[in-house]
Amino acid sequence: MRNLLKTVLTNKPGWLKASLVCAFFISCGIIQSFQGKNTEPYVLQYPANFGSRFVIPANNPTTKEGVYLGRLLFYDKALSAGNNISCESCHQQRQAFTDGKAFSTGTDGSLTTRSSMSLTNLLWVRNFFWDGRSPGLEEQVKFPLTNEHEMGQPLSESAKKLSQTTLYPPLFAKAFGSSLITEDKILKALSQFERTLISASSNYDHYLAGTFKPTTQQLRGLQLFENGPDPKRGIRGANCGHCHGGVKTFKELFHNNGLDSIAADIGREQFTGQAADRARFRIPTLRNIMLTAPYMHDGRFTTIEQVLDHYSEHIVQSPTLSTFLQDISNEAGGKNLALTKNEKADLAAFLGMLTDSSFISNPAFSNPHLVLNP
Amino acid sequence: MYKPKISKRCIAVLLLFFGVTFSSLAQNTATLSIGGEVTTPLELKLSDLSSFKQVSHKVKDRDGKEHVFAGVALIELLEKAGVTTGAKLRGENLAKYLLITAADGYEVLYSLAEIDPEFTDQIILLATTKDGQPFGTGEGPFRIITPNDKKPARWIREVRSIKVAFAKN
Repeated sequence: MRNLLKTVLTNKPGWLKASLVCAFFISCGIIQSFQGKNTEPYVLQYPANFGSRFVIPANNPTTKEGVYLGRLLFYDKALSAGNNISCESCHQQRQAFTDGKAFSTGTDGSLTTRSSMSLTNLLWVRNFFWDGRSPGLEEQVKFPLTNEHEMGQPLSESAKKLSQTTLYPPLFAKAFGSSLITEDKILKALSQFERTLISASSNYDHYLAGTFKPTTQQLRGLQLFENGPDPKRGIRGANCGHCHGGVKTFKELFHNNGLDSIAADIGREQFTGQAADRARFRIPTLRNIMLTAPYMHDGRFTTIEQVLDHYSEHIVQSPTLSTFLQDISNEAGGKNLALTKNEKADLAAFLGMLTDSSFISNPAFSNPHLVLNP
Repeated sequence: MYKPKISKRCIAVLLLFFGVTFSSLAQNTATLSIGGEVTTPLELKLSDLSSFKQVSHKVKDRDGKEHVFAGVALIELLEKAGVTTGAKLRGENLAKYLLITAADGYEVLYSLAEIDPEFTDQIILLATTKDGQPFGTGEGPFRIITPNDKKPARWIREVRSIKVAFAKN
């Protein structure tokens, strides 16, 4: 011991060398254990005005390898029981990841109970589905994969099918460090891809950035969209911004928007069990709204004009009708919004500014199998 | 001409009846949860609040009219749940906040110090009545009243949950 100490004290450089070599190997080991997958972070890009109120689970960081794998899975029919539909079947890029139908057809030919939602800016969504029952993407994605009216295949079966391919095991290894395909990894990869579906390059965004000059009609529409009506002060408005305000055009809210006096679909009440939540549904984003008809949770409106008519003249009373849709009018003492024909056209012109052509044509979101097997 | 009028009126009366019944039913079963950084998580029904000291404020609401809101001082509920108030509201506890969520998902935030009587004279209310009546649907059964807030955006209606948390950076 004394000798060792002596060596250490007298032979400083040697000791230093030895400990440096040790430190080098130890740190290599540490780095190895963290980055064993050799993954590259995927940088999510969005304008500053979108804000960063989102949480990406610590156990599922977004990586280039994970996103690519998720994209392949999104477009793979092997994830459905009949090998006949993929996520894309109900979420097509050219329609801002909707399918243009009121209800979608599942793997067994049966219909879904609600309309397929646009997969846009999900990074900022905190309560998924029309009734907000799912608190995160990783959990949300289980439902369409396994529900009998959708893809209808147990996750264990999906993992088994993918394991038997030559394509997937190496891709899972790249993304998650091991070629073992698990249910959890399938959900994680799909969620990673879905987080990248950011639409922030519409004419509205360019207008906010000062690089697009809207028409006078679009500007009138924007004013109506944002203003609450105040007939006493001569301000006309459609009050859309109350729920769809802000650059993301949705707020994380659930409201009964006066579709029915007696709701066939009880909406959020089914999840919360609270009677006050009867027929309350998620406020969806209006991004790419001109591409995502039909509208509402049951796709009852086929045109944007019907939607505007609804909010202007056809709100139906019921015990849980949103207070924001009651006794609000552009006429003093009026019972409905009473927008003019021209005002509705102005609003539709503004809504057209929310179409993001680069989003629906972005090759990074398209079917990668076509490139693999041309 | 006469017949449709009567049926319309009948429907209106029926709707009103169901509406009122629905409203009182929904309000009696609605609960308010207080959780997060507390020693005793609480799940309160409207009837549970009668055991607390009743306080009231006469303030102008969004409609521009004065109303008397009555209920319980928010601080009392926080004390009951074992939140770090009073002498304990110091050091890192000053970085705690309340995230209050409504039935529709609307959220507002208060810092603990904004509510504590050692910091402020303002008594923030968890109101349960307006002008002596229970709130209507869309407003109750619980609503926050913060008299010193000029803009009533934080007078959050239909309060469902209060979460006490640390601000984390």
